[in-house]
Amino acid sequence: MSSSPLTLSEAGRTASRNRRILEILGAAAIAGTYVFLVLTQPADIANGPVSFSALVALGGFLLGAVLLIVAVLPALPTSTLVLVPVALVLNVVLGQIMGSSGLPFYFDAIGTVLIAVLAGPAAGAATGALSSIVWSFFNPTVLPFAAGSALIGFLAGLAARGGLFRRFYLAPVAGFITGIFAGVVSAPIAAFVFGGTSGVGTGAIVSAFRAMGDTLMAAITKQALISDPMDKAIVFAIAALLAYALPRRTTFQFPFVRRFRVLAGKAPATPAA
Amino acid sequence: MRLHPFTALTAAACTAVATTAAASWQLSFAVSIISSVLAVRAGVAGRVLSAAAVTVGPLCLSLVVLHGLFFPEGRTVLAEWGPARVTAEGLQFALDLASRTSACVLVLLLFSFTVSVPDLVSALAASRIPPQFGFVLASTLTLLPAIVGSLDRIRQAQEARGLLLRGSLLAHLGALRLQMVPLVQGLIEDAGIRGQALEARGFGAPGPHTSYRHVDDPPGQQIFRALALVLAAAAVALRLLASWPTASL
Repeated sequence: MSSSPLTLSEAGRTASRNRRILEILGAAAIAGTYVFLVLTQPADIANGPVSFSALVALGGFLLGAVLLIVAVLPALPTSTLVLVPVALVLNVVLGQIMGSSGLPFYFDAIGTVLIAVLAGPAAGAATGALSSIVWSFFNPTVLPFAAGSALIGFLAGLAARGGLFRRFYLAPVAGFITGIFAGVVSAPIAAFVFGGTSGVGTGAIVSAFRAMGDTLMAAITKQALISDPMDKAIVFAIAALLAYALPRRTTFQFPFVRRFRVLAGKAPATPAA
Repeated sequence: MRLHPFTALTAAACTAVATTAAASWQLSFAVSIISSVLAVRAGVAGRVLSAAAVTVGPLCLSLVVLHGLFFPEGRTVLAEWGPARVTAEGLQFALDLASRTSACVLVLLLFSFTVSVPDLVSALAASRIPPQFGFVLASTLTLLPAIVGSLDRIRQAQEARGLLLRGSLLAHLGALRLQMVPLVQGLIEDAGIRGQALEARGFGAPGPHTSYRHVDDPPGQQIFRALALVLAAAAVALRLLASWPTASL
């Protein structure tokens, strides 16, 4: 294993303070963009005003995601960094397997949540944002949702630190709450950048709210509040089951799991000398 | 002439941003057609168009149904069935957004299917972007086909042990578990080994790193990138000034 000094040098402390500032700026960019978009949402959604909101949403959310990546990525230990590609591949492959099972959800964050449980909120946020960026190589429509995925990874890590993954029945509750936040943050992207959602079921729900006279943003936010919490509750439950199924020797090699006792049970016994 | 990966990326990203800022379906169509022609000339038309159809097709369909039938802001009513009203404004909005998204997706896919991934990774390593980003990108792009293969082998192995991929929902979920758990376990185990190997070769160490691959970056392309960025920024600034919301604040 790599040898690292136990105390931080002066330069190390400055670097970690700079990273903290970048993290806060990234979170502020995402939150500020959301508030701005809600306050200034165009009453008349012709193409021009929506294009304005789309540019603000894209710029603010992508800036936030990039700042988070720049802040977190260089500080991740190599053992966590090699998990990021694994998480992205799991997001894609498990999403496909679940899709082929015929259930009406999309489950595209299983890998992100699993990494957040094993390696903590910072790694989860970086994984979420990076997955969106790398996956946009094949599907550019996921790129604008980078901030939402980062939020899912971050909240999953916080839930794991708070011990919500120690009991199986608490994980879906954490997922449900995460889904509320993630859905609300992603709604302006769906509304202003794409003008709607691409699924059949979600599209029908948005149409129903529009038929009642809601604005596009309100209709998509309500639709997100119906589908996202359910989806994330299932995703968190699956991630919890996967984490429980891993051998303890594997899970306890992660310092985050050992330090915050993320999963129930004791560390594997070391043989007596 | 060979394009530097960053030049192609800048051109694609700036075109997407300018198309979004311009908000005109004629321009969006022009960008889509030019991207398709360039894809045909680069010999990747089949892959670009099929990937674009999979991602944008359902969205366009949903936009036409959603805004075509339900657009409370619409004034010019063309037809009416109960709560559903077909309005000219709704159809126009669906056309605007569908053509804009298609144009952006096509131009970005044209970039990702024509860029040489080794060149992109070495260009990223040579720039000031954290080296970890290049690693994640390259590792994911090479891991993806490998995983699909290993998932196939896991399924075959479980089927040889009596796994049945039919029956009730519960049996289906059980079958999923039998495939997912070995896959995830193997991936995390492999990642641990890879992490130690990388660490042993000084991946996380500070200081200069040697690269065996060099990507040329001619000055002409650097000037082109700067110009493209300035033009895209100007398009964004014009749109922000033109549509700044004053009444609702």
